[in-house]
Amino acid sequence: MTSAKERRNEKSKTPFLRRDGVRSVIASLICILGGLVVGLIVLVILAVFNENIPVGEAFRGVFTLLSGPFSAGNLNDALFQAGNMFFQATPLIMTGLSVALAFKTGLFNIGAPGQYLMGAMGSLLVALSIPSTVVPAWIIWILALLTGIILGALWGCIPGFFKAKFNVNEVIVCIMTNWIAANIVSWVFFAADDLFINYDETKVNFIRKTATNGISTWTLGLDKVFGGSYMDISIFLACIIAVALYILINKTTFGYELRACGFNKNASRYAGMNEKRNIVLSMAIAGALAACGAAFWCLNGAQDFKWDTYQTLPADGFNGIPAALLASNNPIGVIFSAIFLKYLGVGGSNMAALTSFNEYVSPLIVAVIIYFAGASKLIKDILARRKVTVENTKDTRYAPEPVPSADPPKIEMLSAEEDRPPQEPAEERRDEE
Amino acid sequence: MNQSTIGTDQPYAIEMRNITKVFPGIVANDNITLQLRRGEIHALLGENGAGKSTLMSILFGLYQPEKGEILKDGRPVRINDPNDANALGIGMVHQHFKLVEVFSVLDNIILGTEPSTLGVVRKKEARKRVMELSKSYGLNIDPDALVEDITVGMQQRTEILKMLYRENDILIFDEPTAVLTPQEISELMNIIRGLAKEGKSILFISHKLNEIMELADRCTVLRKGKYVGTVNISETTKEQLSEMMVGRGVKFSVDKADASPAETVLSVEHLSVRSRLHKKLAVKDVSLQVRAGEIVCIAGIDGNGQSEFVSALTGLEKAESGRILLNGEDITKKNIRYRNSHGFSHIPEDRHKHGLVLDYTLEQNMVLQRYFEPRFQKHGFIRFDEIRTYAEDLIDRYDVRSGQGPVTVARSMSGGNQQKAILARELDRDHRLLIAAQPTRGLDVGAIEFVHEQIVASRDAGRGVLLISFELEEVMNLSDRILVMYEGEITGELDPKTTTIQELGLYMAGAKRQKATVKTEGGEQL
Repeated sequence: MTSAKERRNEKSKTPFLRRDGVRSVIASLICILGGLVVGLIVLVILAVFNENIPVGEAFRGVFTLLSGPFSAGNLNDALFQAGNMFFQATPLIMTGLSVALAFKTGLFNIGAPGQYLMGAMGSLLVALSIPSTVVPAWIIWILALLTGIILGALWGCIPGFFKAKFNVNEVIVCIMTNWIAANIVSWVFFAADDLFINYDETKVNFIRKTATNGISTWTLGLDKVFGGSYMDISIFLACIIAVALYILINKTTFGYELRACGFNKNASRYAGMNEKRNIVLSMAIAGALAACGAAFWCLNGAQDFKWDTYQTLPADGFNGIPAALLASNNPIGVIFSAIFLKYLGVGGSNMAALTSFNEYVSPLIVAVIIYFAGASKLIKDILARRKVTVENTKDTRYAPEPVPSADPPKIEMLSAEEDRPPQEPAEERRDEE
Repeated sequence: MNQSTIGTDQPYAIEMRNITKVFPGIVANDNITLQLRRGEIHALLGENGAGKSTLMSILFGLYQPEKGEILKDGRPVRINDPNDANALGIGMVHQHFKLVEVFSVLDNIILGTEPSTLGVVRKKEARKRVMELSKSYGLNIDPDALVEDITVGMQQRTEILKMLYRENDILIFDEPTAVLTPQEISELMNIIRGLAKEGKSILFISHKLNEIMELADRCTVLRKGKYVGTVNISETTKEQLSEMMVGRGVKFSVDKADASPAETVLSVEHLSVRSRLHKKLAVKDVSLQVRAGEIVCIAGIDGNGQSEFVSALTGLEKAESGRILLNGEDITKKNIRYRNSHGFSHIPEDRHKHGLVLDYTLEQNMVLQRYFEPRFQKHGFIRFDEIRTYAEDLIDRYDVRSGQGPVTVARSMSGGNQQKAILARELDRDHRLLIAAQPTRGLDVGAIEFVHEQIVASRDAGRGVLLISFELEEVMNLSDRILVMYEGEITGELDPKTTTIQELGLYMAGAKRQKATVKTEGGEQL
């Protein structure tokens, strides 16, 4: 019987490059590289066909894009951009986690935008309607966050319920609930009108900033460190949630059930798990996560929430899908993939500002990279298939025992071949007629 | 006339020389040689996981071997993908057919090689050729029926015609009889004999010894990835083949003492179950009892309500009416977990659909119904060390073989070892009643022997066993009491000691039924 310690040793014996996690990271990096190469080709083509842009500019463009906030020029600008990057990555981490969790249960949560909107609405309604002169601001902050999360969880339950009860494909219900949410949010804020809508700054499509009610997320001075950006502590909260989710999925009986249901619904049922409850729960948690991301964004205090959302859905909701895919649905990986996507976004806007390429090119290249990210599973499989050699199979601890008679294969064990009667002549063939 | 000799003076139609294929943790093919003569029926025999499918996949271009070469008519060839194989005249009927369900039979046959002018398929011409082939080989098909509507037998004939249409002359059949009824099997055997007579070379993969003895000219045996030998069927016996395959003598009968039934464990009263498919009653007013220490077998032809009966019993489906009593307690309305933790163990009919989470590791599958027990979790956190210890113990005791032990992904294991894993899990759980639905389906003789021994051991330990089987021999060998199910009803109760296979067959086919004993409380006939 092997002890835990021996097993750990065994694990460390596995060559570094053959470990599953390492392969995932390498696969993701290869994808990103592939995307960049294609992006570079696009830029070179643009430069060749546009006489105003020298071909060398293409390389400068890719370099600017890749440098993210570091291409800002001076330290203060770089810090400012980095701070905003972390702040903007926070909701993306949360929607990424939302999509990743649902994937683990075999569900495609394309409803994150709707859950995100419900979360934004819930947190804004609470944060702006309770005066901070009556209730301490930090209590309102927590209440607002919880309201957003609960609304998002309920919204996530809807596709989960339809899937579990009537076996309706969750993608269809998710897409419909997205638009229903968009219209509900617009309608609620339209009906409430001047209670929430910001008319002060000659804007009409935005909700008042929560800071006007004294509600804003703690910054611990980070906003000052990062050049006066929006940076606050929500990114750290998101990271803690990601770690907690990782533990939930991989180390608990609940996670064991969720993944079992995701892999094989029938076997889970056979084993006595309540697979319908698990589907609903999984979608509820997914909805709560996406909504939490929205609440983090809204409660920052200085953000303008565009309330007439019935025409568009929040991009961060959909971008949770590439964030999750790029991280192979690993919650910890989502932290990095979400930050990376925003990093490219910052680099992209720098590219538009500092090089000859316009602002339409950078999203295109980011999209190409995301597109390549979808192939990370494929690359991982190719990595796994490579270099499987005989030497690889030395660990025969569990391999079938060798056949006792280890004599070399006897080709033609029987010598009496010629004795066999010759086959009948093929004269009976019907096609002779 | 050139078919008249098939001796060694001619090069082999296909020769696979010293093939070695390695997968992570396992050598699937270790220096295997296979020589197929023109016009012969050559059987490839081996246990589950012996490397038969791997070898055929190499021949069909799905895998590349690490070592070894393939010769066609004496010339070395390289087969990189199934298209290469097809160009060399190698065709394969897979165990699970590769047909487009919503296409017609004709469309499926010509798919990929359809004759066309400027992109327009010359269907008339294709139909003429297909019908000629169909007629000359006696392969009866309906060219215009959709594949999803036709019987499994006709689907198989469609696959065979597909190979003939492509003018393949080396035909591989991967366990072709596994999905067929007895009548269809004998029909298929005639077809294969006819094909060989026409000069086609046949490779026939099977682990059913009776079929090989009846059909094949020669047989190559593999064991655990290694080459054991090639024998002439006319000079060998079933016993010798099974010994070559398993590596030891195999008993074809089950050693067991007489049953000594005790108290009733399971009592089913007037159970009716509605079918999910056609919404009619699939199980009609069935009453039976299983006592501790006896094996009761429900015999019958597939599709007579057995699956629905087991589903209702285990809680996977709702019962329409009637009661299920476990140790005297009414559990008709209880959920699956309650039944599992109060004495049910269930070896499911479909091990991939219900028995295993294929993407989970072996150890994760071993605790599929038990992960929440205090032994395996603490405050909701899984105790991985306990699960590992437990899984290693089960793997040891039930001899479950896999590439990487407890951390092997279940999907990568052979069917026999998957079944052993399920058996280990179900038998080790504290149970009063074992429900075994086709526990030996798709297993080879060695594994069948093991499963039978374990089921008898469970009985001798004082558990009740309810066995559901379609295999007449298994029914006769294993059970203490036989109940025949026909069209959802129990039509007879037989004693395996006094009845014959022929009589059992008549009951199963519905030609005979006992009116009076349908409702007996069971057991008095012993």
